[in-house]
Amino acid sequence: MATSGGENLMSEIIVEVKDASLAYRRTRHRVSSLKQTAIDTIKKRMAYEEFFALKGVSMEIKRGETVAVIGRNGAGKSTLLKVVARVLPPTTGRVVVRGAVAPMIELGAGFNPELTGAENMLLYGTLLGRTPKEMRGRIESIAEWAGLTEHLDIPVRAYSSGMVARLAFATATDNVPDLLLIDEVLSVGDEDFQERSKARTETLMNSGCAVLLVTHDLNTVRTMATRAIYLDHGAPKASGKPEEVIEQYLADLHR
Amino acid sequence: MQVYDSDVKQSPIISQVQGVWEKRGLLKLLVSRDLTVRYKRSVIGIWWSLLNPLFTTFVMFWVFNTVFKARMPDGTSFLPYLLSGVLLMTLFNQGLTMAADAIATGAGVLTKVYVRPEIFAFSATISAAINFFFGLIPLTLVLAISHKWPGWSFPLAIIVVGCMTLFTTGLGLMLAIAYVNFDDSRSLIQIFLLALQYMTPVFYPISVLGPHTKRVIELNPLTSYLSVFRDVFGNNYVASLNNWLMMGFSSIAMFCLGFYVFQRAWPRVVAKI
Repeated sequence: MATSGGENLMSEIIVEVKDASLAYRRTRHRVSSLKQTAIDTIKKRMAYEEFFALKGVSMEIKRGETVAVIGRNGAGKSTLLKVVARVLPPTTGRVVVRGAVAPMIELGAGFNPELTGAENMLLYGTLLGRTPKEMRGRIESIAEWAGLTEHLDIPVRAYSSGMVARLAFATATDNVPDLLLIDEVLSVGDEDFQERSKARTETLMNSGCAVLLVTHDLNTVRTMATRAIYLDHGAPKASGKPEEVIEQYLADLHR
Repeated sequence: MQVYDSDVKQSPIISQVQGVWEKRGLLKLLVSRDLTVRYKRSVIGIWWSLLNPLFTTFVMFWVFNTVFKARMPDGTSFLPYLLSGVLLMTLFNQGLTMAADAIATGAGVLTKVYVRPEIFAFSATISAAINFFFGLIPLTLVLAISHKWPGWSFPLAIIVVGCMTLFTTGLGLMLAIAYVNFDDSRSLIQIFLLALQYMTPVFYPISVLGPHTKRVIELNPLTSYLSVFRDVFGNNYVASLNNWLMMGFSSIAMFCLGFYVFQRAWPRVVAKI
């Protein structure tokens, strides 16, 4: 391990994914009601198929690196993110993550409209992995950055959608984790806030943490990623320098 | 530093309970969120959540006492018997559906961030338990009106609530899987809960039943919770050792079963979303 003494901290491996696959059984016809399931079971029509959302993915992310995952819709990009976030255990293979993980998720998903801004901030930050105590000490400064200091004690129900997004973004990006998971770089709020949130995301990405970035925006990959992985039907088809990986992806896309 | 290694397999139940305990800060926040939303912000406060059980009791009392002119065979008063039954069934229904709902509605967060979903289920059943304790106030009043005070054993009601919390958490975890997987499970569970309510001696004493029916009713684990609760709190029923054993065993068994099933099924649910 690279944490001790002489070795460079930057070479510390935060994420190790070794030959990870994720398979699950799914029904051929998308059944979503108990009634249909019961009828199908009686008529013996239940046909399952093994579906591989990920097939033999391996990668490493060191501290300071940004790895971008690209690929078509349903290629397994978000699944890979879930596996690294430890929400999904891999069916085979191994995933090791060292340190604190912070996801930048869809904004405001965990908000309750009846609670005040401060209460929501506390709950949201705790859901994202921080302790309530840490959060209590940060509420003031998070609110200040988001420009919501005066609105902290009113229920979020009375917020505009832009205010909700600002609150969520400010909370999610308040601390520097060891691993940052990004599912599409977020740009929220009015033009001024979009600029500031983009700048903050970039600062966070350059602050020395490892970043796993899933995106369709190839320009972001070109400018921000140190490496890229191209997933096709769950399997890695190319990985390496962003420019080369993007080239292959585009070649496949236009074929 | 926290290290996650997917190869390290933990013993299911113990590690899960540990995981929940480590996150008790979050658990506390979730419970206080539930209670804040329910109590602080509404004008009538706690009485609002008691309105449902109290009104149900009132209607049932009117139907059985006035319309059917039913009397308890041993001459004790019917109202505390009925109210204690309704309150405990409300604890069960609320805990169960709120636990499943908490996970189903939290799925947006739970599928992206590593948070043990069990914590959501627990927060719901604990909130339901706190509601239940508020319900003991009107129950005490009703007991007093019928010239009976809660027996000296009333603190033991905590054991009943604890067992019920484990029972509904386990069952709620399994129901949550159904909620997320099947759109029609919400309406089906309502029918099931109604049937279960009639199969629990909420508004009739077990002693009036024939031997066969009685056996069926006693197989229902909820019967034992109700018997023990009426025994320790209202002194208006005598619970047997069997009731205690059934209550303790069923709560632990359901809790373990729920955790086990949930742990196996949840990854599949997340993969599909």
